[in-house]
Amino acid sequence: MIFIAILVGCIIGALLGMNAPVIPYTMSGYLAISIIAALDSVFGGITSVLKGNFDLKIFVSGFFGNAILSIALTYLGERLNVDIYLAAIVVFVGRMFTNLAIIRRYYIDKWTNKLAKKNENDKQDNITK
Amino acid sequence: MKAKKGEIIMTVTIGLICFVLTYVMFMQFKVVEETDITQIENARESDLREKLASWTEKYEDVEQKLTESKQRLEEYNERKIANQETTELVEKELEQARQLVGITDVKGAGVVVTLEDDNDSEDGIITSLNLRDLVEALRLAGAEAISINDIRVINMTEIVDTDAILVNTEKVASPYVVKAIGDQKYLESALNTKTTGYIDTMIRSGKKVTLERENNIKIYKYNKELNVKYLNDEGE
Repeated sequence: MIFIAILVGCIIGALLGMNAPVIPYTMSGYLAISIIAALDSVFGGITSVLKGNFDLKIFVSGFFGNAILSIALTYLGERLNVDIYLAAIVVFVGRMFTNLAIIRRYYIDKWTNKLAKKNENDKQDNITK
Repeated sequence: MKAKKGEIIMTVTIGLICFVLTYVMFMQFKVVEETDITQIENARESDLREKLASWTEKYEDVEQKLTESKQRLEEYNERKIANQETTELVEKELEQARQLVGITDVKGAGVVVTLEDDNDSEDGIITSLNLRDLVEALRLAGAEAISINDIRVINMTEIVDTDAILVNTEKVASPYVVKAIGDQKYLESALNTKTTGYIDTMIRSGKKVTLERENNIKIYKYNKELNVKYLNDEGE
């Protein structure tokens, strides 16, 4: 059910996004930062799902909050003549890698466990035979 | 039932979030692509601003220089005009002075007086005195240039009797043709005055004198060198 929702959302988003009006180049920097923040939230959400402590409120608030905050910070950096967006990118992308690592470990563990179980079963079968 | 409601909410929310994310991402892809097409490429806004600022500065510099140059040019032009005016004035003065001193050929309207020795009558010979009188009379009437037999009479000219009459140390002989450029009316009337006038006086004393108006008299320049040896300007 959830996978269908994700798929439909992605397809509609892609279709509409391709026909979206072109925003000015100055704005696209803010947009990029907000995309990075949103992606970070998504990976964080997946991690929390795997860990079993997923909370929809935290996920949604993180998704939009991080995006808006990163835009605000980038704007502030522009005003202060400090490239704050670099710090935001470092933080978000770093966290994305951490979350990806967690996800990877989780599935690798799952896979190895499965393999080990299968081997054990095979052994037991052999013994019983 | 409650669990199902929560599930639906979650599904819809996650679907919405996916929609938003992909929408924004594709928008950004498109923007980046378009920007590449317009060839601003990776130039950041700050770089562009810097460039713009430097160009603006350069433009202002050049504009200032242009204004200065224009001003200078105008000044030069003004000075040139002033110079020209002075030059013209000085040249005009110089030309007049040269004409008056008598070192240039001049021409103009005036009168020609011809004196001739009358060998038949007593006192018929023209003397230097007669010529001097004539010259002075002409000068009085405002003659600007005078010549005797095409010898220019200037302020240094002597008219003296030796065995012949000398004008500018050159001998002249009868007929004496005295040319004078000036106001024809004045010249004529000054010489033609009844009884006391020059011509009447000369004729009475038995000399041959004729007076003619001429509109295109040419008077040659003083043909010797004018040297100043002893004169100094006062106050220098």
